[in-house]
Amino acid sequence: MRYPEVRRQNRRMLLLLILGLILTLVLMSLPLYSFDVGVYTKKSGNTFVGDEKYQAVRAEVEAVAEEYRSQGFDVEIREDVLERVNSKGNTTSLVTFTISERYSRSFLSFLGKKLPSSTVLVFMVSLMGAALVFSIAGLAGTDDLVPRYLNRKGRLLRNLAVTALLLALLLVPVFMLMNNVIFSRRLSLYNADLITEGKEAFFSMLDHFFFDGRMGENVGDVLGGLKIQRSPMAWLLLLTLFISLTAAICIRYGEIKSSLLRGALYVFVVIVCVVTLYPYYVMTITAFRSNAETLDMYFLHMAPTRWVWSNLTDIVQRGVPRYLMNSIFVAGGATALAMLCGIPAAYAMARMNFVGKKAFLGFVIMSQMFSPVVLLIGISQLMNTLHLNNTLWGLMLINAAFNQAFAIWLLRGTFVSISSEMEQAAMIDGCGTVGALTKVLIPMAAPGIVTALIFVFINAWNEYTIATVLISTAQNRPITVGITQFSSFNMIEWQYMFAASLLATIPVVILFMSIEKHLTAGLTSGGVKG
Amino acid sequence: MNTGLNRTKWEPYVWLLPSLLLIAIFVVFPILIVFKLSFSEISKAGVIGGFIGFDNYVEAVHLPAFKTVMLNTMWWVLSVVILSTVLGFIIALVLNQKFRGRKIARSILVFPWATSLVIQASVWNYIIKAEYGNLNNVLLNLGIIQQAVNWRSSYQIEFVWECWVGIFVTVPFVTFCVLSGLQSIDGSLYEAATMDGAGFWNKLRHITLPMVRPSLTVSTVLNIIYVFNSFPIVYTMTKGAPAHKTDTMITYLYMLSFYERRKGPATALSVIGFLILCVCAGIYMVSVMRKEEEL
Repeated sequence: MRYPEVRRQNRRMLLLLILGLILTLVLMSLPLYSFDVGVYTKKSGNTFVGDEKYQAVRAEVEAVAEEYRSQGFDVEIREDVLERVNSKGNTTSLVTFTISERYSRSFLSFLGKKLPSSTVLVFMVSLMGAALVFSIAGLAGTDDLVPRYLNRKGRLLRNLAVTALLLALLLVPVFMLMNNVIFSRRLSLYNADLITEGKEAFFSMLDHFFFDGRMGENVGDVLGGLKIQRSPMAWLLLLTLFISLTAAICIRYGEIKSSLLRGALYVFVVIVCVVTLYPYYVMTITAFRSNAETLDMYFLHMAPTRWVWSNLTDIVQRGVPRYLMNSIFVAGGATALAMLCGIPAAYAMARMNFVGKKAFLGFVIMSQMFSPVVLLIGISQLMNTLHLNNTLWGLMLINAAFNQAFAIWLLRGTFVSISSEMEQAAMIDGCGTVGALTKVLIPMAAPGIVTALIFVFINAWNEYTIATVLISTAQNRPITVGITQFSSFNMIEWQYMFAASLLATIPVVILFMSIEKHLTAGLTSGGVKG
Repeated sequence: MNTGLNRTKWEPYVWLLPSLLLIAIFVVFPILIVFKLSFSEISKAGVIGGFIGFDNYVEAVHLPAFKTVMLNTMWWVLSVVILSTVLGFIIALVLNQKFRGRKIARSILVFPWATSLVIQASVWNYIIKAEYGNLNNVLLNLGIIQQAVNWRSSYQIEFVWECWVGIFVTVPFVTFCVLSGLQSIDGSLYEAATMDGAGFWNKLRHITLPMVRPSLTVSTVLNIIYVFNSFPIVYTMTKGAPAHKTDTMITYLYMLSFYERRKGPATALSVIGFLILCVCAGIYMVSVMRKEEEL
């Protein structure tokens, strides 16, 4: 089947694609970047604006500027006055004359230069060209077919066109951000001698870009006051490329809406994931940096320059294993206790009828409402009375009690969902109620029990507030309190703090992932959060 | 449910006893202690004197920081709960679609929920440090900003950051609650609605929202309670500084009782907080019980 109206639409879309590409090229050839380059600087100390010395220096600078102008440079003179009071109490000023040249550059002028961003631009332009070629080739002979009936070659070519344009679109911000990094961050770091590695190569690159290599050794001084400005018009590139992209998508799928929605969905998911993982990235890289690097405001790299594994051995010396053991003891004990008390209670709630069942349920739910924090004073008072202050046992009991509600709630749900026939059979065979519970019900309810178990463990593991109040000696600290010892009033040892945090986080995140599926089911009925 | 076997009348209570004891001693008893203390005279050294009526409450209400702290608490709870509910709901709607990598995205979203609040808060504390924080470093390296930005130039902005961290750690809970609600919706409902010509918004309003309302109610009420009770974020990031201007009620009562040793007004504040929680808990219980009956 051949459809003339499909052909008409495809041709229109191809025209739109070409129009988008042409607009992109037009924008790229406009002078969207402007640079102010200081080509000559003269400083004059102990001067006042307008006095004799000032006039002399000014004349000197004018002469130099005139010389530049005669060579065909477009230069202007700028003067900066810095007033200061010297040791004798007299006010003097430092006048700085700068002859600066204004350069306008278009995107296309980056082509053929040796800058890293030039490579990106080459890729971008070739991708645009490739997309055009792929679209035309993909349409050849099949331009009146509904996308569904395309042959393999047509489908592949049209897919390639879409991919190429998508990549070109993504390279626009990459190119612009790269220029920002090169012309302002890296340049200022080199000028301040904060990094020296590769300095010569970098400056010869800039020399080549601005002066075709004429400046030679002086280029560092010349570029001292470089100012880069990008016209906001540059962002229109995204729009023009997007027009081409939608046209390519339309040629590929015959319509655009669902593809765009799909794309938006992926963009959204990626953003959410990146934001979510960002603190974990920071935690990981900081855990393996040296102390100097964690506090370095000019720190340049996205990863540690040297992975300091000794941070891990250092925190071992600083008592972290002890804290981890304490946490395991408290969380493990709290979990065991919560289960030992919770399973019988949940069993009674699921299988027995008694007066006050509803009241008990309400009581349990109520107890879940109160985080221990609001009761802190009461709890510390109680612990004093029981002589459990500053003991791991006290912490364990509190954690077990405040996690009872969820344990009972989730276990009850699991038990109710299992038919009681098997237990009855077991009881008729001579098992008591206890036998029926341990030999029949618990093995059958294992997934729900494991979920409750892990959840209680994680809650107890992550608990911080009660522990800060109850625990006063270092050797009894659980890990959540232990990591805060690396931050004191006047010094924070971030690398140790995050190395310990990493050790405390990894196991629980893995545990949590393993129960996530079961937990969601029990959540809205159990209604509990960590 | 009756198993058909004879049980003695008191047997169920034996099964409940351990749990009952645990809750009674470590949850109910502290509540009673706090109530009693709030009506007693307490010296700086912690010696408990006699009954003094509502003096502690009067003192608490007249504390110079009382109004700021109450307002902060309100802003804290409202902004964190509302924003994370909206965000969590949107993320759940997206994650409920079928797409490649959905499982990975769900696993990643578990991270903030599984991490201790004090660790989360410490990491964000480092991220937004003005002098050497990682946010400046990353943005400078990407060329998005040209100069280091002071991300915590005033206490109001620091408070906003605290709210952000609160939202960050609360969103996953909402998302997973809503997701479990969404998964229980019968797909044929949407098909029927599509046949009838319903658009996205109509389906959202007339099918999705009513069906996830129970999960949304539970998660919202629980969040109000947990966000109200949240202590580590504010405590780690600012400790309420300057002068309790970024404190919420919970951190304030901690400071009051364990730093300034003014246990009297602190217990009174505890009781006020407790009563606020009771109202929330009551609403929650009514909604849960109603849901139980529906099932």
